[in-house]
Amino acid sequence: MSAPSPHHPGWLARLRAGDGLGWPVAILMSVLFLLVPLLPGEYWTQVGTEILILGLFAMSFNLLYGYMGQISFGHAAFFGVGAYATAMLFTALKTPAGAIGVPEFLLSLLVGPPVAALAALFIGFFCVRLTGIYFAMLTLAFGEMLFYIVFSWYSFTKGDDGIQGLLPPDFFQDSANFYYFTLAIVALALFVMWRITESPFGSALRTLRDNQRRAAFLGTNVKMHMLANFVIAGAFAGLAGALWGPFSRSVNPGLLGWGESGIAVFMTLIGGAGAFIGPIVGSVIYTMLQAVVKMYTVYWPLTIGSVILLIVLFAPGGILGIIERRMRAARAGNQANGGDPAAGPSAAEAQP
Amino acid sequence: MSGNILEVAGLHKHFGGLHVMCDVNFAMEEGEQSAIIGPNGAGKSTFMNLLTGYHRPDAGKVVFGGEDITGLLPHKVARRGISRAFQVSSIFGRMTVGENVRAAVHAQMRATFRLFAPARSLGVEETGRVLELCGIEPKRDLMAGELAQGDKKRLELAIALAGKPRLLFLDEPTAGMSIEEARSTMELVDRLNRELGLTVLFTEHDMGIVFNHARKLTLMHRGEIVVQGTPEEVRANEVAQKVYLGEHHA
Amino acid sequence: MDIGPYALQLFSGLSRAMVLFLLSAGLSLIFGVMNILNFAHATLFLLSGYVTFSIFTFLSQQFGASPWMLLPAIVGAVALMSLVGFALERFLIRHTYERELPEQLLLTFALVLILGDVIKLVWGLENRRINLGVQPIEMLDTLVNPYQFVIIGTGVAVAAGLWYFLHRTRFGKIVRAAVYSRSMVSALGIRIPMIYAMVFALGVGLAALASGVFLPLLPMALGIDLDIIVQSFAVVVIGGFGSMLGTFVASIIVGVVYSFSILFWPDGALAMIFLILIAVLIWRPWGLFGTEMRS
Repeated sequence: MSAPSPHHPGWLARLRAGDGLGWPVAILMSVLFLLVPLLPGEYWTQVGTEILILGLFAMSFNLLYGYMGQISFGHAAFFGVGAYATAMLFTALKTPAGAIGVPEFLLSLLVGPPVAALAALFIGFFCVRLTGIYFAMLTLAFGEMLFYIVFSWYSFTKGDDGIQGLLPPDFFQDSANFYYFTLAIVALALFVMWRITESPFGSALRTLRDNQRRAAFLGTNVKMHMLANFVIAGAFAGLAGALWGPFSRSVNPGLLGWGESGIAVFMTLIGGAGAFIGPIVGSVIYTMLQAVVKMYTVYWPLTIGSVILLIVLFAPGGILGIIERRMRAARAGNQANGGDPAAGPSAAEAQP
Repeated sequence: MSGNILEVAGLHKHFGGLHVMCDVNFAMEEGEQSAIIGPNGAGKSTFMNLLTGYHRPDAGKVVFGGEDITGLLPHKVARRGISRAFQVSSIFGRMTVGENVRAAVHAQMRATFRLFAPARSLGVEETGRVLELCGIEPKRDLMAGELAQGDKKRLELAIALAGKPRLLFLDEPTAGMSIEEARSTMELVDRLNRELGLTVLFTEHDMGIVFNHARKLTLMHRGEIVVQGTPEEVRANEVAQKVYLGEHHA
Repeated sequence: MDIGPYALQLFSGLSRAMVLFLLSAGLSLIFGVMNILNFAHATLFLLSGYVTFSIFTFLSQQFGASPWMLLPAIVGAVALMSLVGFALERFLIRHTYERELPEQLLLTFALVLILGDVIKLVWGLENRRINLGVQPIEMLDTLVNPYQFVIIGTGVAVAAGLWYFLHRTRFGKIVRAAVYSRSMVSALGIRIPMIYAMVFALGVGLAALASGVFLPLLPMALGIDLDIIVQSFAVVVIGGFGSMLGTFVASIIVGVVYSFSILFWPDGALAMIFLILIAVLIWRPWGLFGTEMRS
C-alpha cells in the first residue's frame, strides 16, 4: 500500500472520501454472515447457506460479465456439471445404507470444480472466438445442449429423476455446521477470486472489457485470456454446484438450464456488477425477495422480471452502483464547498 | 544505428473489388522520424493497419528488425516492439489513467497471466516514468473515460509508449489539439526520437507540423505512394502539388 | 418404398417452416434495423395465440361457430399485437439503445418472464387450441391435413408481400437502408425513432400472424415459447441477421430438419436444432446470407 500523498491518498483517506465502497460493505457482510446461525430455528441458517452457494455462483458469473464484459446465458452449465460430478461420486462412495464418511464426502466435493473446469475448457474453446450477442447466444446454446444431454441420458444421469439421497455425514447434517463449513469454503474462494481480480490478469481482463481492440494492440492475446477466465469462472461455478448437491440433498437437470443461468445474472445485476462483492449483495436481496414473494403468490417470474426491468432502466449499476453514485455526488458537493481539489475527478469535462 | 528497421515490399490489399493498397514499397531506418501525408482516403490508416496486423495483406512482405512479420496478429506485432497510437483516442474508459498505463506496461512485461501477484506493485517504475513523460501524472487516479479531450490524447500516447517500443506509429497525433498542445506533443515526440532512438512514423494533415517534425515525407494517394523524399523535395514536386491542389494548402 | 411417412413429415415440416419464417422474419428485421435481439419474440407469439383464441371464441359465441371466424380473429389479434409492439418499443426498448449490449439483452429477457406470467394471470394454466374440423385428405399414400397447405400458402404470400414491401415501397427501402447504415439514414433526415417503432410493431405483427395461422395445429401452452425462441434464433443465425431471403431459406431448413428428426429421434429434435445452431455460430456466425459480423 503506498503511503498517503496529495496525489495518492491512502486507503483510509479514500474510505473516508467515499471511494473504496467495497471494503466497508464486505466487512459488514462478513460480520452479518457470521451471526446468521444465532437466529432462532433452522430456516434462516438454511437460507443463509443458499445465499452463500448461489452468491458464489453469481460471483463466478461476474468474472465474465463485470470484469471481462461478456454476458453468458449458459453459465449454469458449469454449476450443474459440478453438482452432478459431486453427486455421482458421492453416490458411488456412499454405503448401501446411504451413509457417507467425512473423507469420502470431502473427496466428492473436490471433484466438482475440476470437472466443471474441463467442461468450461471445451465449451470456452468455441465461445471465446465470439463476442457480444454471438457469445451470448453460443453460451445459451451450449448450456441448453448440456441440459438436454443430462436430461436425456437416463442411464448415466438418471435424467429427469435427478440424483437423490445426497445425505452428508452426521456432523454436516446439522444446519449450523453445514452453514459454517460453506461459509469457510466460500470465504476462501472469494479470497482467491479477489487476488485474481487484483492481479495483472485481472487488469488485462478489464482492458478486454473496455476496449478489446486496443488490448490486442498492447500485446494481449485476447482469446487466451478470455479462455483462461472462462475456465476459472467455470471452476468456481463448479465449486458452488458441488456444495449445492449435499445442501439440497439432490441434483436435477434444471440446475444446468437457462433459468438457473438467469439467477446468476439477476443476482449480479441487482447487487451491481461494478463492485467485487456486488453479486453477493445481489444474492442476499434476490434470495430473500424470492422467499418472501413465494409465500404470497406464484407469480415470481413476473416479480423478478419487473425488478430486472426497473434496474435495467433506472439503476444499471445495481444497489451498490446507486450507493456509490450518491457518495460520489456527496463528495463532489463537499469539494464545491472547498475540499481538496486534487482528490476528485474533473467531472466538468465528462466525455461521451 | 544504420540499417532499415522496417521494410515493406509490394504491399497489396483489396476489400471486395476495391483496391485500397497497391504495390506499396516503403522503408525506414532505425531512429528515423518521418510522416505520411495524403488526402482523406489515401490509405494512410490502412497502411498502418496492415503493418500492425489489424488487416491481413493480400500480397507483399513486411519485415521488422530483420524478422518477417507479414500477416501476424496484432498482439504478436505489438510484442515485437511496434506500438501504435490511434487517431481517435482508444483508451480503457472504466479504468483510471494510472491503471491504463499500468495495463500497457504489464502487457509488454508479459505479466498478464500472473494470477496472484498484486497488480499495483508490478511495473511501478515504468508506469510512473511514462505518466511523467506524457505529463499526466497528476491525473493518474482519474477515470480515463472522464478526461478532457487533450488529456485523452496524452493518455493515448502514454499507452503506446509503455514498454519502450522500438517503432511507434502515430495516427494524426495532433488532431483536435490546440496549437499549444500540438506543439508540446510533437516536442515530446522529437525528444523521444532524439534521446531514445525511437523510430517514429506519423500521419498528419497539418503541413506545419509535418515540415517542422518530419525528416522524410511520403505522399500517398489512392493506396499508392506518389512521392517520397525530404519535405522540401516533396513540396517542390509537381505531382504532389497536383494531388494537393484544391484539397490542401501547405 | 412407402413414402407416406416421409411425405407427411415433409408437409408438416414445410408448414412448420412457414410459421417459423413468419416468426423469425420479425426477429431478423428487428435485429437488422435496431440491433436488438428480442428474447421475448416467441413469448409475444405465444401471447398472440392466446389473444387470437379469445377473439375466435368470442366471435364464435356471438355469430355462431364456424372455422371462418378464424380470419377476423387473426386480423384482430395482429392489429392488437402490433399496437402492443409499438407501445413496447416506444416506452421500454427505446431507452436501451444507448446502453451496453448486456443491458439490452436483459430487458427483453425480463419481458419473457413478465409476459409469461401475464399469460398465466389472464388465461390460467390450460392449453388453448382450436379445432377447425377439417377433414384430412388422402395424398401420396398418406392422410394429410389440408390446412397445412393454407399455412404454406400464407407463408409464401407473406414472404412475397414482405419482399415487395422491402424492395418496392419507400418505407421498405428506408428499412433496408437502416439495416446497412443507421447513421446514414438518420443523416438523410428521416426520423429514426418512428422507423424503429414501426419496425418493431411490424415484427410483432408478423409473430401474431404466425401464431394465429398456426393455432389450429398447435395448442398454445405455457412454456412452448422457450422451445420456439431457440428455433427462431437458429433460423436467424443460419440465415443471417437482417436478410429476409436468408430467413426464408433457413426456416425451411430448420422446419424440415425438425420434422424429420421426429421420425428418427423423437426426443432429440430440439437437440438437432441446437447442434446446427452451435455449428453455424462456430464456423459461420454471420449465416448463409448475412454480411460479415457487424461490430
